[in-house]
Amino acid sequence: MGVPMADLPTVTGERPGRLSRLLRPLAFMSLPTAVLVLLFLAPMGILVYFSFQFGDLTGSTGFTLTNFTDILSDPLYREIALTTFQIATIAMIAQLIVGIPLAYVLAYKAGRFELPLLLALVLADELNPMVRIYAWRMLLGREGLINEALMSIGLIDVPIDALLFNKFSVIVVLSTSYLTYTVIPIYASMKAVDAGLFEAARDMGAGWFTTFRRVLLPLIAPGIFIALLLVYVPLFTDFAAPTLVGGTTGYMLGNVVSDLVLENGNLNAGAAMSFLMLLAAGLFSLVAYQLSRIKQGAK
Amino acid sequence: MITLSNLTKTFGDSTAVNAIDLEIANGEFFSMLGPSGCGKTTTLRMIAGFEEPTSGRIELAGEDVTWTSPKKRNVNMVFQNYALFPHMTVRENVEFGLKIKKLEKARATERIERMITAVRLEGFESRHPAQLSGGQQQRVALARALVNEPAALLLDEPLGALDLKLRKEMQLELKSIQQQTGTTFVYVTHDQEEALTMSDRVAVMNGGNVEQVDDPRSLYEKPRSEFVADFIGTSNLLKVEVETWDGDIARAGLGDGLRITCRESGDRASAKTITVRPEKINVHAGPVDPGQGSLVRGRIIENVYLGSMTQLIVELSTGERLIVHELNDDSGGPSEAGTEVYLSWATDHSFVIEGAAKAPDQQAALPAGAESL
Ligand SMILES: Nc1ncnc2c1ncn2[C@@H]1O[C@H](COP(=O)(O)OP(=O)(O)OP(=O)(O)O)[C@@H](O)[C@H]1O
Ligand SMILES: [Mg+2]
Repeated sequence: MGVPMADLPTVTGERPGRLSRLLRPLAFMSLPTAVLVLLFLAPMGILVYFSFQFGDLTGSTGFTLTNFTDILSDPLYREIALTTFQIATIAMIAQLIVGIPLAYVLAYKAGRFELPLLLALVLADELNPMVRIYAWRMLLGREGLINEALMSIGLIDVPIDALLFNKFSVIVVLSTSYLTYTVIPIYASMKAVDAGLFEAARDMGAGWFTTFRRVLLPLIAPGIFIALLLVYVPLFTDFAAPTLVGGTTGYMLGNVVSDLVLENGNLNAGAAMSFLMLLAAGLFSLVAYQLSRIKQGAK
Repeated sequence: MITLSNLTKTFGDSTAVNAIDLEIANGEFFSMLGPSGCGKTTTLRMIAGFEEPTSGRIELAGEDVTWTSPKKRNVNMVFQNYALFPHMTVRENVEFGLKIKKLEKARATERIERMITAVRLEGFESRHPAQLSGGQQQRVALARALVNEPAALLLDEPLGALDLKLRKEMQLELKSIQQQTGTTFVYVTHDQEEALTMSDRVAVMNGGNVEQVDDPRSLYEKPRSEFVADFIGTSNLLKVEVETWDGDIARAGLGDGLRITCRESGDRASAKTITVRPEKINVHAGPVDPGQGSLVRGRIIENVYLGSMTQLIVELSTGERLIVHELNDDSGGPSEAGTEVYLSWATDHSFVIEGAAKAPDQQAALPAGAESL
């Protein structure tokens, strides 16, 4: 053909500017996506807006910080926050203690049962939360199966009341409610770890615990991080379990929000509480992410 | 010293390793060679302790370790896929075993540095395995195992994943590291050239059995079974009915002054096959006096130029074919296809071996005194 270079139109001009390079991906975003994002962000915007508003019976509104100062200065809320932290943390640790070995068995030991077990785990989560919680009530209650069983074998004479309507029962119910979301990400990260590494560690004299701590744990840290995001954060905001099995001592922040909004009709205070919880969750995620990077040797 | 006695491993109803006996001396470079699935890895894993034997005994330095956990055995393994810890640096990988043994810091550092130098990885200490080439990863795996100063190092096809050139380099390097450290190497490979060039002794395995244990030269020059003769290098196998035994020399006359003489190698009773290597055969235009050696007659049916030598295929009257390698040094005899030739070889270069592997009707035996061509 032999077209002289000079005749070619200059397609490759200058490098596009920084802003246009940043915006380019947006061009691929279709209108529906944009609408969805908007619908997702709008409630959050409204939440933030309401949390900075006051409203009284006269109907007058305006900007205020009192929603926050009220919450932060109230010792009762601080106590509930502490209880919530306690319950969520213990439930999370319990799920990791059960979930990591379970994921290990699924990933390396289950053989041909791997898929059926995985399916069972997913199906277990499909159970309606209300049904699950009522099932626990039937197990743990005064006339529940556990008490009946213990009395029938003569281990106790009077039913144990401490099983239900307290922190303990909330922890038990929460631990089982999110187990699927703890196990699946950890299982997925284990599938990427060559089981030969455990043999290599054993070959060099490592026992099972050292092998777990120095080889497996750092390699599944990203999976644990995802499990924390999926489970630990929702544990803080859960209100179904504490409402149904919490009694008075198992009262959590999620109940505070729902009571503020539904019982007291104080939308502004509820929004402020939610906003604070959102901030805490964001902060926590950031810290967890950094920690998981350190464990991996910041690749 | 590693002693395996009557070691057997079965998986379900298939036998992976069948009652093998081996003795591996201290400081020896010992290879296990054999085709895929013959039980090499299984044997190695039993020595390391990752596989429990079905029966038999394993001794390390005179101590029975058959049921000892791998972490208590003073041997280390280099895995075929290296199994390096991906989240640790080169240095941390090498350090791993010493940390577990809680070796004193100064001594550990000294050992690690010496090892990293020995495998030529200076400057790579803070890299992760993913940032290394295959050969470099291989060297990390080696250093990680050797830094523990094991009584024996077990290597499972350690060069299998490398390209040919790197393989050759690493072969030399492995050998020199082995000589430097004086560590016993138990080396698994299915590459016969690798086994022959590197090892002090080689165990040839087949279907869970050890066929022959010998130094590379004996293995090549004096194969004891058809399998070994066939597996190691190129070999000619001829069916022969032995007529007379003269000491350990077997003779079979073929009439017309033609005859085969060879040395005993395997079990005399079942001896039916003889072996001779292609390069040991001389080609002549007419009958010659073979002295004490063998002389047979045949016709060249194929002639392939291979650079430094020419490969001839010679068909005998029985229909059996011999491969002959003639050096291209201008001294050679006839090589044109179609030419009738006489082939001779010295007694010491051919052996009567057990010939049970092939069906007898596949190649008609050279009947004693039969008319040739
Ligand atoms: N875990 C196992 N379960 C069942 N059979 C096995 C197992 N491991 C090995 N085998 C069988 O035992 C035999 C020997 O296997 P092994 O891995 O020792 O062979 P190999 O000589 O190392 O072969 P390759 O050169 O292909 O690595 C094979 O037939 C194999 O299928
Ligand atoms: Mg193998």
